[in-house]
Amino acid sequence: MIELRVQLLDEKHVRISGIAPIMTAVLREVPEILEQRDSPDAHARLFPNPTSANDKINKEWQQTVNPELRHLFVSAGETVARDLVGIGAAKTVTESYEITFPVEHLKAWMSALNQTRLILAEIHQIDEEDMNAAHLDPHNPKHVAAFRIHLLGYLLHLFVELETGDEPANAV
Amino acid sequence: MAPPPETAQPGVIQIDETKTKEDLATPWNVIVHNDPVNLMSYVTMVFMRVFGYARPKAEQHMLEVHNKGRSLVWSGGREQAEHYVHQLHSYQLLATMEKSEA
Repeated sequence: MIELRVQLLDEKHVRISGIAPIMTAVLREVPEILEQRDSPDAHARLFPNPTSANDKINKEWQQTVNPELRHLFVSAGETVARDLVGIGAAKTVTESYEITFPVEHLKAWMSALNQTRLILAEIHQIDEEDMNAAHLDPHNPKHVAAFRIHLLGYLLHLFVELETGDEPANAV
Repeated sequence: MAPPPETAQPGVIQIDETKTKEDLATPWNVIVHNDPVNLMSYVTMVFMRVFGYARPKAEQHMLEVHNKGRSLVWSGGREQAEHYVHQLHSYQLLATMEKSEA
């Protein structure tokens, strides 16, 4: 069994080990998925209005705050894309992969993974029912998207545990 | 409205609007809304990071968002409310601010 783990390698580096081939495949899609952040649905989700009804504040926000947010999101995605280049190649499909990156990139990883999950959800119109489906049909594009969201969510959860000092969860 | 000045720093909100005394005196509520994707552990971490809440309080707000669809996570001056909403958006949480009716 391959055990996905996120740990501090030393004071300056984080290592993700036990990355199964399916997780590797999904991670390699992250930069491409992030490029869809400006599709209408994804953009509305990643850059929401700060008020429900105050058009003046919302307009000012779109002009002043969102460009900075966009820069932050793009920068996080670029950092992760560079780190993903260093993913070690496994020789067989039963082997696992690993990635080591500077600890300063941890926040960028959490941002990029969560952006990717949200973009996938918006593009495929994933709702609460899809996320909680007990059976995911591999022939249903919506369910395949939900599966990728869950997979990236598990890695994100491990990052959260590392960041907050929680005990690591058991591997899937 | 003028574009942001070149001297703007990340994390600093520059909104060129004259605020009336009433604006400054009336409390604003910061609301976080539920969404089907954000992890419960992630939302809890964000509340701890952004507001400095201890884990029990952060989890209480997270559960309120999850169970009731929204949680009033902070109330106070408008500029600070804008700052918090900005921070919550940077973590990709659905957050809005509204004038308190109280």
